[in-house]
Amino acid sequence: MKTRFLFPYWCRYLGLACILFHIPILLFAKSFGFDPHDLPDEPGIFSPRHLFFIATTLLMLIGLVLLVFAKEKIEDEQISQLRLDSLQWAIYLNYLLLIITLVFADHQDFKDILRLNLWVPLVFFYIRFRWVIFRLNRAVREDAKLS
Amino acid sequence: MKNNIRVERAIKNITQGELAEAVGVSRQTINTIESNKYVPSTVLALKISRVFNKPLEAVFMLEEED
Repeated sequence: MKTRFLFPYWCRYLGLACILFHIPILLFAKSFGFDPHDLPDEPGIFSPRHLFFIATTLLMLIGLVLLVFAKEKIEDEQISQLRLDSLQWAIYLNYLLLIITLVFADHQDFKDILRLNLWVPLVFFYIRFRWVIFRLNRAVREDAKLS
Repeated sequence: MKNNIRVERAIKNITQGELAEAVGVSRQTINTIESNKYVPSTVLALKISRVFNKPLEAVFMLEEED
């Protein structure tokens, strides 16, 4: 079965590299007491603050998308089904969190809600998806032991 | 839906991995179909029964509650 709109298998490693790469940038910023909010807020997309944003948040996000939506080695119909199921769980959880945060947050916190929303669906999707695949693999191994 | 893939595999003397390769899915998928945890698509069911040279209904059969 052909699954459309997925990245090739190697994108998983590219995505992982992007995510790992953004951590030293963040740590570097933290350890030097460098606060991106202190940067001059110039308009335009090449202002220092915006460049820092691109180097961290966007790098992490792009890496996450590549990692999460990379093909499996053998991408078959059961995997497609799992993707769909996991996506549904992730959307449910995300909206649950969204509703809870909207109820308990005042309008000062909206930026944080957005920040949470950036990664919660993807990360939860990926954890659930991997967990089910891990369980399937374990079932195969146990079956092999029995026979 | 029930199936007797396990029996047919034993008759033909092939492993889950070999059957998976023959129909182009992963080994986990064959395993979950055998243990009735996953219902394959019609295309995959037809491919599997073709590997065993049997009609579809000799390999997959409906249950009471289906």
